[in-house]
Amino acid sequence: MSRRLFWLLPLALLPVPLLLNPYQQYVLNTALLYVPVGIGFNLVVGNLGLLAFSNVAYFGLGAYTSGVMMVQLGMPWWLTVIPAALVGGIGGAIASIPALRGVRLFYLAIMTLAFGELMRWTYIRWEALTGGSMGMAVPTATLFGWALDTDRRRFYAFLALVVLLVAITDRLLRSRFGRAFLAIKDNEIAAAAMGIPTDRYIVLAFAWGGAVVGVGGAMFAISVGHLTPVSFDLTELIRQFAIIMVGGLASLTGAIIGAVIVTVAPQVFISFPGFDELVFGLLIVLVILFLPRGLASLLARVHPAFVERYYRG
Amino acid sequence: MAEICALIGPNGAGKTTLFNAVSGNVVADGGSIRFRGEEIAGLTPHEISARGARRTFQNGGLFPELTALENVLVGLHAQVGSGFFGLLFGRRSAAAEASATMRARELLSTMGLAHIAEQKAGALSGGQQRMVEIVRALATNPPLLLLDEPAVGLAPAARQQLTSVIRNLARTRNIGILLIEHAIELVMSVADRVIVLNDGRKVADAPPEQVRADRAVLEAYLGHA
Repeated sequence: MSRRLFWLLPLALLPVPLLLNPYQQYVLNTALLYVPVGIGFNLVVGNLGLLAFSNVAYFGLGAYTSGVMMVQLGMPWWLTVIPAALVGGIGGAIASIPALRGVRLFYLAIMTLAFGELMRWTYIRWEALTGGSMGMAVPTATLFGWALDTDRRRFYAFLALVVLLVAITDRLLRSRFGRAFLAIKDNEIAAAAMGIPTDRYIVLAFAWGGAVVGVGGAMFAISVGHLTPVSFDLTELIRQFAIIMVGGLASLTGAIIGAVIVTVAPQVFISFPGFDELVFGLLIVLVILFLPRGLASLLARVHPAFVERYYRG
Repeated sequence: MAEICALIGPNGAGKTTLFNAVSGNVVADGGSIRFRGEEIAGLTPHEISARGARRTFQNGGLFPELTALENVLVGLHAQVGSGFFGLLFGRRSAAAEASATMRARELLSTMGLAHIAEQKAGALSGGQQRMVEIVRALATNPPLLLLDEPAVGLAPAARQQLTSVIRNLARTRNIGILLIEHAIELVMSVADRVIVLNDGRKVADAPPEQVRADRAVLEAYLGHA
């Protein structure tokens, strides 16, 4: 996405809350918080090309870090965002260990999936902190004494965070780092032969991805106001995977589009419980069949302004 | 004037294994590998690359989804000195990126490849791919270039071009070349020195005329005299 377009989008979003009822606002907030979730996932799966399915682990780690710090330490929410990013990033670095040992493809997918499930088990068992399977209530967030007690107020805080995360990740992907990620995906041995310390870059991609997703988790914590382990299960993983598949692998724009579609599409079927999973499934199948590079590739075809430097539509 | 050394021998002789040991892609069981006076056995491929021994691959060594230009930029990776945090907050990285891009374009055009800079590497012809790979390996101006069967699958014209490129690199740019090659005419015409391997052992190490004269070597290990 071109720079000018990128800054225009959040500006255009500023007045939108005036047009929405509280429920629609909640849905929009959810779409916003899934943007960093998609970006982090896409960094590892799309750009680096490693099938790591531990994204929900970083999401949960960020959410619980934020929630627990607010409850146990009485900290204001905004002070928990950076710790949530740190813990998510550490989770990412841990999840990269099998990849560093040379584990790839299905084996990596299964091992990282197990990491996510292990984290979910931890939330259930560590009742003193997390409230176990009953969950924990997250207090109202404040931003410098200003209560983020409505979805409309949270919207502006979320928007600012998402813009920041997208801008930084965009910078990263346009630099030699982003190029190195794609080189590792295309040919890891040749990348090393060109002087790229591949192990360090794999850890970096996982850790940065985990940190970004962790921030999404902190947003999730105050958005839903109640954390339960069931929010971080395999269904959630499929939802997050749908974001990057539908939006487009290795594309920042794709993560944004995917987050919006995957959040909004199930609303159409809100009166038919259980249908949302069907919608994800169908969406993934349709996009893989007709748009294997995701909806972002469609956008890139519409106008060159949407073409990302290291993304081929 | 640097030396062009060719490594020949029948399939399974251990040419590529030796190559991989030098470039750090396999770890030697024993012995010593010295490069410019430094022991490099046990170093990782990116460390050896940084010390100036750069290689190409037998087939498909490029990044197919990246353009020719981006491939060369990856070759310049270590020289685009933007650190992670400097990148996030500084302005210097954009300048480093721009000058690297300029340099990569220059390198491509010196090999007559400027017109394919924006094409995906995977979509280039075999000859173009081989040349882009050589440009990419040479981007850092390394003292040693390792070429693993660069002529395989090339049309006669491209093979001709490759021969003169190799000769030029050694003669005018003073880049030492270690070459694995089955195309014996190419070896005989460019190499200053030919090492014949068989079954993991060195059986000859001499100028090409001498190896050519050694009928026993050719018959036994290459199957044609």
